[in-house]
Amino acid sequence: MSASVKDSVKDSMTDTILSVRHLEKTYPNGMRALKGVSFDVKKGEFLVIIGLSGSGKSTLLRCLNRLHEPTGGQILFKGQDVTNIEGDEILKLRSRIGMIFQHFNLIPRHTVIGNVLSGSLSRTSTVRSLLGLWSREDREKAQSYLNLVGIGEKAYYRASQLSGGQQQRVAIARALTQAPDVLLADEPVASLDPATCHTVMDYLRKVNQELGLTIICNLHFLSLVRQYATRVIALKAGEIVYEGDPNSIDDAWFQRIYGEGAKEVHIN
Amino acid sequence: MQKKSMGPVVRRTVFDAFVFAYLVMAVLSPIIFSTEEALHQLSRNASIFFGLSIVGAFISGLVSRAGVRTLGEILFAPAHKRLPQGEPKPWYATLWGQQALVTTLVTLIVGLIVTEASIVALLDKERITSASRLLGELFNPGWHILPTVIVHMVQTVYMAFVATLIAVPIAFVLSFMAAKNIMGTTGPGMAFYTALRVVLNVSRSIEPIVWAIIFALWVGFGPFAGMLALMIQSVSSLAKQYSEYVEGVDEGPIEGIRSTGATTLQTVWFAIVPQVTLPYISYTIYRWDTNVRMATIIGFVGGGGIGKLLIEYQLQGAWREVGCILLVIAAVVWIMDAFSAYVREAIK
Ligand SMILES: Nc1ncnc2c1ncn2[C@@H]1O[C@H](COP(=O)(O)OP(=O)(O)OP(=O)(O)O)[C@@H](O)[C@H]1O
Ligand SMILES: [Mg+2]
Repeated sequence: MSASVKDSVKDSMTDTILSVRHLEKTYPNGMRALKGVSFDVKKGEFLVIIGLSGSGKSTLLRCLNRLHEPTGGQILFKGQDVTNIEGDEILKLRSRIGMIFQHFNLIPRHTVIGNVLSGSLSRTSTVRSLLGLWSREDREKAQSYLNLVGIGEKAYYRASQLSGGQQQRVAIARALTQAPDVLLADEPVASLDPATCHTVMDYLRKVNQELGLTIICNLHFLSLVRQYATRVIALKAGEIVYEGDPNSIDDAWFQRIYGEGAKEVHIN
Repeated sequence: MQKKSMGPVVRRTVFDAFVFAYLVMAVLSPIIFSTEEALHQLSRNASIFFGLSIVGAFISGLVSRAGVRTLGEILFAPAHKRLPQGEPKPWYATLWGQQALVTTLVTLIVGLIVTEASIVALLDKERITSASRLLGELFNPGWHILPTVIVHMVQTVYMAFVATLIAVPIAFVLSFMAAKNIMGTTGPGMAFYTALRVVLNVSRSIEPIVWAIIFALWVGFGPFAGMLALMIQSVSSLAKQYSEYVEGVDEGPIEGIRSTGATTLQTVWFAIVPQVTLPYISYTIYRWDTNVRMATIIGFVGGGGIGKLLIEYQLQGAWREVGCILLVIAAVVWIMDAFSAYVREAIK
């Protein structure tokens, strides 16, 4: 076998940051939320997952960082099988994968900078973190990520004093402080107004392009998907029904994903 | 499935049966308890009660079958059956309403007899004059013992304070272990949670006055016994209340912190503790306030402090001194109450 073929195999392997094989998730109540989902995520992608409410998008993201336990299949993160790791290994995995949420999930009574610093929990010893003894390096990093998302001057506000869009940017800064390889975003703009929603999406694109962070994002609005995604996966009842270019989703595909008679709404 | 659907019916029947037996026995009590001796024949009276209960159970069944709702049905029927059926009647025109009314009236009458309530005793001239003489002494406090009273009162306040302070960290740790959302709903976590809950509930249901009696025998009469009694009670009551706050926290921050790769301890500290701190402080102050009041009573049975002083003077019939003690207690309780209400309002 020639060297060039070997190289390209190796290339495509280092290129793939996350590989999901036949992933299954059945909740204790018997609900089969994922029924054998397989896909690859390439480094630097902005992958968007769409699908009806209840199709399993949130479940999928939470299986990737093991917030939820998959009940079958395999997840490879940077070539390592992380499906069955336990204890500290899971914590380490989570620290390599940032996550932001629809409801931001900040600590409302803590300061903005305090919230951002919690992104460095996994590399701070328990005693130091409980006493709030963050390293100087982490403090500087936290402040610089706050600056990056444009709310550096709000560092000493309480998180609860910020608007929804600003809180989501704090959440992004918290995730960035983890220095992750992948950022998961579970409907990050679903509770924001249309204008704010674009600001937040723009910051996600910024960290995707400037920091080269791989993003996997659940979204509801196709117009946003076309604008921001480099690739899209559609889930329906726990299965992948579409995978490819966001701009190739025509009316026929739209109806297949969202059901007969569904109509696209636009958000500007 | 069978069992679940039978539960409400069983409860309804038992309730109605007991109410029926109680009413019949109360009404027929002049006959059933004609002599003092008859009152004390437990097995005979129990037989009558359960015999009547069986009759009551039959009646409850028959009436329910006829579609009339009994008081037991109202109280224990599953939620979906509580929907109004047909045209609503005023409560006094329903069987259950009449059942409730009759039961309450009979209980009131029996109660007045049992508590030996007597208008005659209340209005007896001789007694009124002696009582008013004592009250006069009570309201003419013997201020000469004030220094001693204050010393004992201070002891009582400290007793309550130390008991609360020691109980807080113990209850703090226990509260997370007694919270379902921390311990999970499976395996050893669930088992530990259940066991801890049972222990807390049992120890909470034992009044501090009982603990005081136990500890007075153990460590000797005095404020230390009282403090221990209050502490035990405080641990279980604080832990129970705290754990309810923990169970009520918003799950969002927990997920947010967990997603960063934080350990369980870090997650508790960062995501849960900030959410429960204020309610914890508020409830703790309330507890301290309660403990001061309880510490007084605990003194009666060997817990030391102001309660001990009070009982000593009362037994001597030194009413002027008792008056002084009661005034000091009232003042301190009032101050504590106002202070605790103020602080809890301020940190809301
Ligand atoms: N903890 C859980 N226990 C049981 N079933 C669950 C749980 N979480 C989710 N499900 C079920 O799994 C299915 C997928 O849920 P999921 O939250 O992943 O959907 P989603 O695509 O994110 O929906 P949405 O757009 O509404 O957020 C749903 O039917 C849901 O009811
Ligand atoms: Mg979801």
